[in-house]
Amino acid sequence: MHLIQRMKIWKQLRRLEQRAKEQPSPSTFVDLGQVYINLDLHDKAERMADDGLALFPKSIELRQLLDCARRGLRHRRAGELRAKLTRSPSSKLFHELASIHLELGDSNALHATCQEWSLRFPDDSGSWLMLGQARLTNFYRDLAAREGQEAVQCLERAARMDPDSTRSRRLLGEVLYRIGAVNEAQKHIQTLRELDPADQEIEHLLSHVATLPDSGSDLNALLAEVESHGSLLHPTLQTVAPAQAADRSITDVRAGLARIAELHGVNRAVFIRGSKAMVKGDIRDGRDPFLRIVRVTAKAAHRFARRLDIGSAAKTVIEGDFGWICICVYGDALAAVQCLESANVEWVLGELQEIVAGALHAAEG
Amino acid sequence: MSKIQEAVVELRHAPGVRGAAVVTNDGLVAASSLGSGLDPEVISGLSSYLMMTTNRSLAEGSYGGCSKLLVNATHGKAVFVQFDQSYLVVLFDQFAEISEADCQVDEAVVRIRRASRLA
Repeated sequence: MHLIQRMKIWKQLRRLEQRAKEQPSPSTFVDLGQVYINLDLHDKAERMADDGLALFPKSIELRQLLDCARRGLRHRRAGELRAKLTRSPSSKLFHELASIHLELGDSNALHATCQEWSLRFPDDSGSWLMLGQARLTNFYRDLAAREGQEAVQCLERAARMDPDSTRSRRLLGEVLYRIGAVNEAQKHIQTLRELDPADQEIEHLLSHVATLPDSGSDLNALLAEVESHGSLLHPTLQTVAPAQAADRSITDVRAGLARIAELHGVNRAVFIRGSKAMVKGDIRDGRDPFLRIVRVTAKAAHRFARRLDIGSAAKTVIEGDFGWICICVYGDALAAVQCLESANVEWVLGELQEIVAGALHAAEG
Repeated sequence: MSKIQEAVVELRHAPGVRGAAVVTNDGLVAASSLGSGLDPEVISGLSSYLMMTTNRSLAEGSYGGCSKLLVNATHGKAVFVQFDQSYLVVLFDQFAEISEADCQVDEAVVRIRRASRLA
């Protein structure tokens, strides 16, 4: 690229940066991000996508931009790792490189890397675990029996080579119970429990698996059955748990709002997530101005903080003749109250934080 | 140095304060004392965006104006105090307790109000 071309691009870049600041919209962020990607500045493109998603969390184009930027960063890192491995091969570098290939979904590069890894470090179970993970991803995506067999073989080999590794057993246990080999899966999960008795998740998994009927231990037949039916026999623990967690989360939020509405001086309280709001106190309907004030101010404060490079605006307090409006935001969850000057604002903010953090925790769980 | 600038410079020495500025409602910097890495133009632009957006949404809801606004972010804090035609912006670092600088902020507010009236 000669100098004039380069100068033209930089000029266009400045113009786009200015536009993104003055008229933020998903397309301005995407345009700017694409220029960064064309200039090989994937880190800047990633930051741009992050900034855009903070303002427009539902934008598909911005998610695609973020994905593209991250892929670019991973490709660059893979190149660096390959150069390092040529100079001084180590198991850690192979692991990182294989993980990148796995994330990129580059099966050929992953196989080549794992092959070299297992040749150079034959006692390291990592290459088999990584191959097992890749095969397992393919199996869950296509439900092809062949991929399932390969995945089980790789994971069994990894578990044999490193009997104390929990990762391979966990994956193995999960695929086995999902295809119907419940008794076989239980053996692996029992071993997991012995390896880490304090892990509550294993306990939950064990209780979940105990409720499922066993369909035998002929893995080839079970995998063929899955392929012909086009569906796995049993659901994961996570697909069963979210409904319960969501119910619990709503109950907790409702209780939290009721508690906060009873505090001295509090007139109204609201919890907002996405387009849904739960209210308590003097709020007429979904068009009540209080809801709009809370949303608009929280978004503006968030933008202010991001642009100023001071992170995310978690708590915002507005003071006026109306009293106080206290807002607490974490992720996409927001809780706010309007209260009189006589209310204890610190206390109110603490309660709001509890509601929002609780809702987020339940959602992540 | 004007009285307003003096008040802002003094406020800058309060515990945890990274910078302070007086910005007119239309976004011009009347006085500022900011730490390194803080650009007065950026501060005024972002502050007027935040104050204008908040005041507009309050006005649309018939709530009246905002007299003070506090923003507590992960890596910093900010306080805005509204005057008639301008507002004071005080930026704090993330470890600062805003309440510890309340006295200094209030004192600066009184001095700026007095100086504005005289002007």
